[in-house]
Amino acid sequence: MGDSHDSPDFLQYLIRLFYMVGGVLVAGTLITVLIDVLFAFPLPVAALIGLLIALVKAGFVVAVFMHYKWDKKLIMITWTMVLTFIFFAGMMGLIMWAEGDHPQVRENILYRDELSAFWIVAAALFGLALPVSFTVLTIKQLSQPAPVEAAAPSAKRAAKKTKR
Amino acid sequence: MEIPYTVKPRPDTGLYNAKLGIWLFLASEVMLFGALFSSYVLLRVGAVPGTWSMGLMDIMVGAGNTMVLIASSMFIVLAWAQLKQGNLAGYKKWKWATIACAVLFLVVKWSYEWPTKFKHYDIWLSSTVELHKKLEQGYHLVAEKHARESHQEGEDAGSHGGLAKHYVEEEIFTKRFFKEPSGDSHKAFDVAWEQGTLALSGHINSYEEAQINVRISGWKADAGVSEVDAEKTLARFGAGDPAKLRKQGGLLLEKTDYDTAKRVEYALGQAGFTLALGVAGYTEKTKEEEGAAWVWRTKRVAEDIGGQPRVRSIIVSLDHSHHQKIKVETKHIKRLSAFEPKHSTFFGIYYTITGLHAAHVFGGIIVMLYNMLPIGLSMWHKDRERFTNRIETFGLFWHFVDLVWIFLFPILYIL
Repeated sequence: MGDSHDSPDFLQYLIRLFYMVGGVLVAGTLITVLIDVLFAFPLPVAALIGLLIALVKAGFVVAVFMHYKWDKKLIMITWTMVLTFIFFAGMMGLIMWAEGDHPQVRENILYRDELSAFWIVAAALFGLALPVSFTVLTIKQLSQPAPVEAAAPSAKRAAKKTKR
Repeated sequence: MEIPYTVKPRPDTGLYNAKLGIWLFLASEVMLFGALFSSYVLLRVGAVPGTWSMGLMDIMVGAGNTMVLIASSMFIVLAWAQLKQGNLAGYKKWKWATIACAVLFLVVKWSYEWPTKFKHYDIWLSSTVELHKKLEQGYHLVAEKHARESHQEGEDAGSHGGLAKHYVEEEIFTKRFFKEPSGDSHKAFDVAWEQGTLALSGHINSYEEAQINVRISGWKADAGVSEVDAEKTLARFGAGDPAKLRKQGGLLLEKTDYDTAKRVEYALGQAGFTLALGVAGYTEKTKEEEGAAWVWRTKRVAEDIGGQPRVRSIIVSLDHSHHQKIKVETKHIKRLSAFEPKHSTFFGIYYTITGLHAAHVFGGIIVMLYNMLPIGLSMWHKDRERFTNRIETFGLFWHFVDLVWIFLFPILYIL
């Protein structure tokens, strides 16, 4: 939570919001179950619907419960998560590349599926993106001067609020 | 040593240190769970149709557990909001509610969901003919009833000979591997039926176990045990005259069980005796008589005594057959496994992912309890803001555990 959001009114607003998000999450779960019970979708469609609902629920949890909605100006959290995602996507890209390259047996005939050039390039780019992005961020961090409290713009506000 | 920036934000990051720390930790957690998730999805998509037992999950239990975890996630953030307002009593109230939800989640998982799976067995037979015979035997009654009912609804009941086959496909195979019938499901079933790769699925009620006669067939004087000691050892185990038994051999134990026979064989072997174990007959045992839960393993089923099987047959009550019991001779069993990790790829990754998640819930409960004990609460009395921040960072972890489950629920229970 940012410091400017500590007022009692804002907290009351937050608490109302927490209950609402709880309701949304329960509703999302119910919808997932209902869709599964009522309809018989083929696997890819069922997967897509299930994961989309999960994604919406996850969005609410991160935004409100984890108060990312009010923390997102804090670039460190954002960068941590974005870089994690890039790292992860890069790793998965490399795995998919390897996975898509092995021979498959279909109707008793051995096929060797060649991946299209697009996916190979995409996977390689993802794979490259991760070390590059980490290097860039590290250099950027190191090139900044050591933190001096008085010089930082947010320090004054922080000092005013804290009673330590 | 004073830990810096526990309350006020560090100027360059804009966050108090613990918060940045927990976000970095969560980033590493994303990698951990993400890898398992991706493995699951890759394995699921790559599975040959008709091999992924996704229809075995109880979606209502899963949905209930999801709600419990969602509630706990909401309670922990409400507990934090109470601390923000300086209300320790309110914090305690919501925190206990959170802990209760977390415990309920684990109780459902560890005392209901997992154990019911561990008690449920799949049995694969080595002979296709035998498999068809068992399925016919197990299902013909209920299949006839099923056919009569669907006939009344105007559907074609099919020929009499294929009733059980038809029923097994509709009620068991398709629901377990495909959920809904389709061309694919029909094709996969035909292959499984012809090749005999279908499993008999159900609970093991009882079994026929060998009664063993233990005979002394000889004694080696050069084994390093004196005659007196050897006879003393012998006297521990059986009736009769030890001296006579040692010299002439003869029946030591009659109709004893496997464990005793093996124990005696070992102990007397140490004393220089050679023993002959022979099967005298078979007796039906239920699990209750056994005293403890019998853990069935393929290897155990294949144990033999002088060429005779230790367990001649097992009596299985099949699923969806109104608990019709059939007897399966162990000589026909190729493989047998409960719904445990080694059962299949699905169960392997299912237990890995849910187990890792449950471990996180368990760890969370320990941290929550610490924060409720006087030692944890002492920080509140020293430094309120720091304690509030501590609860906030724990909350971030707890929401993440909830988040993981939000994704696990659809992929494990629905996909």
